[in-house]
Amino acid sequence: MTQFLQLLAGGVSLGAVYALLALGFVVVFKASDVVNFGHPALLMIGAYTIARLGLSQVAFPLAVLGGVLLAALTGLVVQRFLVAPIASTSVVTVSIMTIGVDILAQTEITRRIGVDILSIADPWGDRVVRLGAVDVPQARVAGLVSSVVLIGLFLAWFKLSRWGVAMRAVADDAPTAALMGVPRKVISALAWTLAGGLAAVAGVFITAFPTPGLQPATASVALAAFPAAIIGGLDSIGGAIVGGLVVGLAESLAEGYEERLSFLGQGFHSVMPYAVMVLVLLVRPTGLFGTRELHRV
Amino acid sequence: MSKVDVAVPVTTVPVSPRRTRSLALPAVATAVVVLAAVPFYLDRFWLTLGLFAFAAAVAAIGLGLLLGQAGQLSLGHAFFVAVGAYGYTYLAGTSRTVGVSHQGGLGLPPLIALVLAVLLAGLAGLLFSPVAARLRGIYLGIASLALVFAGQHILANAPLVTGGYNGRTVPPLTIGGFGFDDGAPGTQLLVLGVPFHREERLWYLGLAVTALAYLYHRNLVRGRPGIALRAVRDSELMAGMMGVPVTRYKGYAFLVSSMYAGLGGVLLALAFGRIVPVTFDYAMSIEFLVMVVLGGLGSAAGAIVGAFFVASLPRLLDRYADVLPGLAEPGGDGVSPAVAARFGYAIALILLLLIEPGGAAGLGRRVANRFRRNR
Amino acid sequence: MSALEVDGITVRFAGVTALDGVSFTVAPRAIHAVIGPNGAGKSTLFNVLSGAYRPARGSVRFRDVDLTHRAPYEITALGVARTFQNIALSGAATVEENLVLGRHHLTRAGFTGTALRLPHVRREERRHRARVREIADFLGLTEVLHAPAGRLPYGDQKRVEVARALCVEPELLLLDEPAAGMNAHESALMAHLIRDIRDALGIPILLVEHDMGLVMGIADRITVLDFGVRIADGTPDEVRRDPAVQRAYLGTEGES
Ligand SMILES: Nc1ncnc2c1ncn2[C@@H]1O[C@H](COP(=O)(O)OP(=O)(O)OP(=O)(O)O)[C@@H](O)[C@H]1O
Ligand SMILES: [Mg+2]
Repeated sequence: MTQFLQLLAGGVSLGAVYALLALGFVVVFKASDVVNFGHPALLMIGAYTIARLGLSQVAFPLAVLGGVLLAALTGLVVQRFLVAPIASTSVVTVSIMTIGVDILAQTEITRRIGVDILSIADPWGDRVVRLGAVDVPQARVAGLVSSVVLIGLFLAWFKLSRWGVAMRAVADDAPTAALMGVPRKVISALAWTLAGGLAAVAGVFITAFPTPGLQPATASVALAAFPAAIIGGLDSIGGAIVGGLVVGLAESLAEGYEERLSFLGQGFHSVMPYAVMVLVLLVRPTGLFGTRELHRV
Repeated sequence: MSKVDVAVPVTTVPVSPRRTRSLALPAVATAVVVLAAVPFYLDRFWLTLGLFAFAAAVAAIGLGLLLGQAGQLSLGHAFFVAVGAYGYTYLAGTSRTVGVSHQGGLGLPPLIALVLAVLLAGLAGLLFSPVAARLRGIYLGIASLALVFAGQHILANAPLVTGGYNGRTVPPLTIGGFGFDDGAPGTQLLVLGVPFHREERLWYLGLAVTALAYLYHRNLVRGRPGIALRAVRDSELMAGMMGVPVTRYKGYAFLVSSMYAGLGGVLLALAFGRIVPVTFDYAMSIEFLVMVVLGGLGSAAGAIVGAFFVASLPRLLDRYADVLPGLAEPGGDGVSPAVAARFGYAIALILLLLIEPGGAAGLGRRVANRFRRNR
Repeated sequence: MSALEVDGITVRFAGVTALDGVSFTVAPRAIHAVIGPNGAGKSTLFNVLSGAYRPARGSVRFRDVDLTHRAPYEITALGVARTFQNIALSGAATVEENLVLGRHHLTRAGFTGTALRLPHVRREERRHRARVREIADFLGLTEVLHAPAGRLPYGDQKRVEVARALCVEPELLLLDEPAAGMNAHESALMAHLIRDIRDALGIPILLVEHDMGLVMGIADRITVLDFGVRIADGTPDEVRRDPAVQRAYLGTEGES
């Protein structure tokens, strides 16, 4: 029982961070019709900047700010100069463009990291908090709190502000949004900037304890944002959050009960997000909350 | 309009039988003749380069069929390449113990192992097709990520097949007593005065298989299945109402493309001579995608060009590292050839999409048009 | 005896009832028009008939075969062919290729046979391409057979759509606004064409069209929809005189 609670706590806190990542991914898809395969690269750019700034003795909050700004800026630049010029072609084309961006960014960051494991120099270190019978790393608690706050802020903004409403309108019906006086281009740019910032924050908690730190393999952890978004439904904000939690929990439980799942092979937990994704897709081809696309002729 | 039904890929290479017949065939025939002469003039470095390029080309044609014709994106291509490579190795290999690791194998005649490995890759594609056939382009792209990760997991947990992290030797292919290896010790095969070693022999195998793969694709896309697949790509709803069973055709496209991948995998295994699981990862899937996009979607010749470019770039940079500015010797600092190659094709991909979304095939068409106008 | 029986069809989309218990029958060799203001549910009706939408209630029977729960390709195989209001051609493909697509359910060539170019595949291809050329000729498309369909003028694309539907060798033809965007002359030609098709093939044709002149000129019978409800059904004269129609449709009519 204790073990289960322990895994549950770990899964939820990890899932909240995945949700943050998936949220940015889904927002980009809704606003600009692009599946951003460069999303993990945004996380890597953010996390790398934070780790580097930390190594040069910059205070942690400032380092995070730097990482968030750089990742957000990268998102914006990619949208403006690479995605926007070919936005009129198909989803697939633009998405392949983001693969090019991903290769470029990841190659450079991997080269810079080399064989090192960079510590993110966060203030929580390897301390844990005791909640009842359960031990949770402080960093994970901080991740959960940050995610909840950021997601809450985002949702409030999305529902209430003029921009948020316009972004929703773009996803549903571009002409209406244009009528509201918010050009689609601006909405896209905003979405990409936001996605970059959120990815950088997620980067902090994906590399903090209990993870050893930032290394090239971190990128494949960041890829879990894809199954999370697909599980929830590529065009559903709520789905991104649910999908993130599902992936976090599934991974955590599979890792915790590894011995009992030994028939599935060693290290199955890293495949878990994808296994869940395939199962969900078999039942619902557009994910849990994705709109069942009705198309017209 | 629902936004997902615009999943029509970049460009479509119009398949106009008239023009292709007059232009492409002589070009292809010339290419085959030139490539057939290569072993008589170039050394082993170039031959090895070619072996990897041929293997990549065959697999890339398959991905091009899926993406360029059916409009379905797959990031799981490396998985099927792995099935082909390991399928062949296991089926043709013999059961034995190397050091501490025990390796299984069925010891089948290599040619039969080759055919079965391709079928095995097709079977794997069929198993995934309940997912593949029901999803639309971009969703499939993400869902197929599951294949690469599942593949890595399976390979890591099947040392009996893979020989573990250190890899496993690939048994040479023999067809009717003719071995695609260095030949029995002490014997030498001389053709027109040139000794034919493993590389020379495999070169012709690669050339022949690539040529057949090209022809198969060319006939397929011109005929009824190709027309149906492109209709599915352009609009699933329209295709269905014109009589095409859409789900079934998407399944077929996935099946054929995974068999192409399997065949490419066998060639790749033969080219390597020794294979390790980490080769067949996410990055490899991405490389195949880069090949078909660089070459130009919908064009098999383009896929071959793209494959030659992406597969050769790291080896070329490596060979000429000392004369190229900014490249580091192995171990030194600076940009290693492998890294430089990745930069190279990523930038090529981005620029091409910005300038000529038709890929190399599109550029070729532009040049040809200019020629015609100038005359 | 009727060829097509539409019985109590209801289709709902989030918030809208696009069709509300619509029933009517189409006689074997009739040109049967379905008219109504924008958003009345005409295209939705076609989408139900061709299997794209599954109705919440009701059934469609074509020659005593129930179409309601069949996939689009199965319905095509029964000889139901259609054109689309918003042209749905493969723009990059040649006109010929677009037309050949219509032969899909009549041909058999599979992946292996095609790739190996087996003799029976080549024979089949030759035979069907010849028929495609015949149909193209009938519609005056011979000249543009090898042009990319997307490059043709709008009116020509509309004719390619009709030609593609004919390539299906239809037993029932559904035409969704075939004359939309055409000038008076082209529109008159289209009217002749539709009548010629009916006379030559002896099949029922279901026609959605806003051009009242065209409809009144060639329709044998007319069903009128308004907000998804059938408000009238009868001969052109009956419909013209119907007060409900005048109120809902003709009275508000601003176009053509
Ligand atoms: N796929 C869909 N999703 C949501 N609503 C739809 C869909 N298809 C049609 N509708 C709605 O159903 C109603 C009927 O539309 P339909 O296209 O059938 O009208 P129509 O009679 O063909 O009009 P028009 O003359 O403009 O072509 C409209 O309110 C339309 O918005
Ligand atoms: Mg309509």
